Amino acid sequence: MIDRITHSAPRWLGMVIAFGLTALVMIYLSYLLPRLLPGDFVTSMYSSSQVTLTAEQETELRAYYTEEPGFYRYLARLAGLDWGYSYAFLTPVSTLFFSALPWTLLLLGTAHIVSMFIGFVVGVETAWRRNSRLEKGMVSFMTILEGVPEISTGVILLVLFALHLEWFPAAGANTAYAELSSCAWLIDIGHHLVLPLATLVIAYFPGNFLLARNSMVTVIKQAYITTARAKGLPARRVRYAHGARNALLPLVTRFGLRLAFMITGALVVERIFSYPGLGTLLFNAIKARDLPVIQSVALISSLMVLAIILGLEIIYRIIDPRVEYAH
Amino acid sequence: MGELIKNFRLKVILALMLCILVIPSIPVQAEVKEIRIADSKGDWGYPNPYRHYPRGAGYIRMSWVFDTLIWKDDKGYIPALARSWSYDPNSLTFTFELRKGVKWHDGKPFSSADVVFTVNYYKKHPYHWVLMGDITGAEAHGVNRVVIKLARPFAPFLAYVGGTMPILPRHIWQNVNDPKKYNDSKAFIGCGPYKFVDFNKAKGNYLYEAFKGYYQGRPKADRLIYVKAGNPIMALSTGKVDMANIQPDMGKALEKKGMILIKNARGWNKKLMINHKKPPFNNKQFRKALAYAINQQEIINKAHRGFGTPASFGLLSPDHEFYNQETPTYSTDPLKARQILERLGYLKGPDGFYVKNERPLKIEIVASNITVAGESIEDRDGEVIKRQLESVGIRVDLINLEQATADGRVRKWDFDLAISGHGALLGDARVLNRMISPKFKGSVNSARFGTNKELLKLLKDQITEMDVKKRMALVYKIQEIYADELPAISLYYPTSMAAYNPKKGIRWYYTKGGISIGIPIAQNKMSLIK
Repeated sequence: MIDRITHSAPRWLGMVIAFGLTALVMIYLSYLLPRLLPGDFVTSMYSSSQVTLTAEQETELRAYYTEEPGFYRYLARLAGLDWGYSYAFLTPVSTLFFSALPWTLLLLGTAHIVSMFIGFVVGVETAWRRNSRLEKGMVSFMTILEGVPEISTGVILLVLFALHLEWFPAAGANTAYAELSSCAWLIDIGHHLVLPLATLVIAYFPGNFLLARNSMVTVIKQAYITTARAKGLPARRVRYAHGARNALLPLVTRFGLRLAFMITGALVVERIFSYPGLGTLLFNAIKARDLPVIQSVALISSLMVLAIILGLEIIYRIIDPRVEYAH
Repeated sequence: MGELIKNFRLKVILALMLCILVIPSIPVQAEVKEIRIADSKGDWGYPNPYRHYPRGAGYIRMSWVFDTLIWKDDKGYIPALARSWSYDPNSLTFTFELRKGVKWHDGKPFSSADVVFTVNYYKKHPYHWVLMGDITGAEAHGVNRVVIKLARPFAPFLAYVGGTMPILPRHIWQNVNDPKKYNDSKAFIGCGPYKFVDFNKAKGNYLYEAFKGYYQGRPKADRLIYVKAGNPIMALSTGKVDMANIQPDMGKALEKKGMILIKNARGWNKKLMINHKKPPFNNKQFRKALAYAINQQEIINKAHRGFGTPASFGLLSPDHEFYNQETPTYSTDPLKARQILERLGYLKGPDGFYVKNERPLKIEIVASNITVAGESIEDRDGEVIKRQLESVGIRVDLINLEQATADGRVRKWDFDLAISGHGALLGDARVLNRMISPKFKGSVNSARFGTNKELLKLLKDQITEMDVKKRMALVYKIQEIYADELPAISLYYPTSMAAYNPKKGIRWYYTKGGISIGIPIAQNKMSLIK
């Protein structure tokens, strides 16, 4: 392994430099793009409020809230891990970011893991039963289900399970300021998580299923599967140890990329279920033209995409050594 | 004797049984543990004067913590920190007699020095809800009397100062130089009925606790909680919250579930902003043609399922005490609209649309979702108006924009027509100045109209007229001129409703003239006091 890494050091170095340059471009875009948004914080906050400002008051407020550090100062501040202050809350952006992040991780992380696991297992099992009525039915059903947008699923679940049956709460991540024991608090969080999580799982599961099934169909045609069968290995071992392991690679890619789009990925679901998270934070910041929050969330999310792509490059080499020797 | 004792025992047993059966059915004034209010936006900033968002819902979040000199309920002004007030026209002063025994949340006593400090502090660090421009100063006359002096008569004083100015504790704020960045827990010490406990920024929830030492008595609910709910109606109907603003078409369903519905007077209007600085909109006759072409009732019927009332063209609500019934009106008349356009030199082209000097009459309407009483409302007003104008021969491009972008364009006069709206139409008549005068350059819902000098003079005069009847006459005239000039066209008043669960024993109501300077939200703190 060490030999392999030492051998390919120049290639690793080139990759790291490429990623570093991309990160720099992303930092510049995160600085530039929010500034191109029409409107500004003072207009957004005051223009149609109960308060009507005179020209002098408006100028004064604009001077107070307009922050033009210039790109190099912005870069220096980022290097010092200073993300600036939110105009709307007048609190550090990092505080806002880290108070929203756990909820996004809980919702999105769980949704990805659950949908990937179920999608993978069901996909492998269905592929193994190729040409059966079950397989044909599942593929048709999942193709249709994949076309149903999250917004429709979310609203249907909301109306059915929150409004009519009243089994689950309609909004929020927990009962606000409820005086509960730790155990009851966890149950309350789980109770609130069910509907948004179900919406996301229903949205992600068909894609994972179809990918796993297609990948597995290709794998089971391979000669080594026939060999494994001929050796008299148990069917489950052939399916998972020989087949599914090799069908996993595209699913890992999908998982990584989905995770990278964590911020925007759950925006719709967060809005439907008033679930706190980075999507809601970004949405509100854009509406209020809260520039420091917009640029920080945009930057962190884009750097996250980059980091995950880099991570995937490394994971590929570990899962599938063919990638390393592809050149 | 034995028989007597036996009878006595029997009577005692019967009496006890009766007590056991009857006592639980006697209504007991139960203490309400908590009240939950749903809100679809959630985040309205921190509840102190310098950190709440400048919309009505933000002011209300703050009003639970900070009290004003006077307040309003459903009948009008009532005493708050001041038990009485008077105006002396000779010395141009308002005198407030303050209540005794008032305490701040930290237990320190409130006095006239705090009021004097607040006036001076707001002059130095403006709080934009309060108009301090005409105030020259304040003096403490003893511990319980404050005299506020004016530079000139100022008719909206009670609305914009006495009933809106949150009083700050001098012992906390005297050393604060940048109030917007003052982030200490002491920044939320007021003398209002509730103490601020927490604001969860990520979740958009607020927690307040009753201030047991409140000078008007202990609040009815121990805890007050604002909950962010994407769909407040759903939260209300599933019993997760006790009160919420609702869409009127959900009223019946909620009533069936035992909720009480309350309807506000007409205090908020949707209006068509007109760029009267550029042709052809700078021509009054052209603006009148637009008014005749628009069918207010059709907009209400098609875009709001009939929930609303056509608006007065004079801006002030028909429910306002200064409303002029003689305000000019423009009943829908497409024929009249066409006649005006033809008099202005427009000719019908072969496609049915007007043309002048070989150039088609084509205008752009900017539409966006507007926030009404703190809730973002989606509608199809733009589509209906486009169809109405096209039916008289005006070609229309309808552009739907996100609100901040649309606001930015209106502010810079980069539009032809724009759909906007605002409230405060039941509050002090100064709203006419805010919504007409060109002084408010940055506003996106003010007509900013400076062409008619008589109108500008009347607007100025009504602010300094302290005699109610004389002021009313001025306001009548303003409405007439405004409706004749039509620098903007008021379209309709949407039906504004809230619903609450009566089981908690709280009666919520809409405040007369709106809370403070006219907030049309039924969350008056007095509901939890008396």
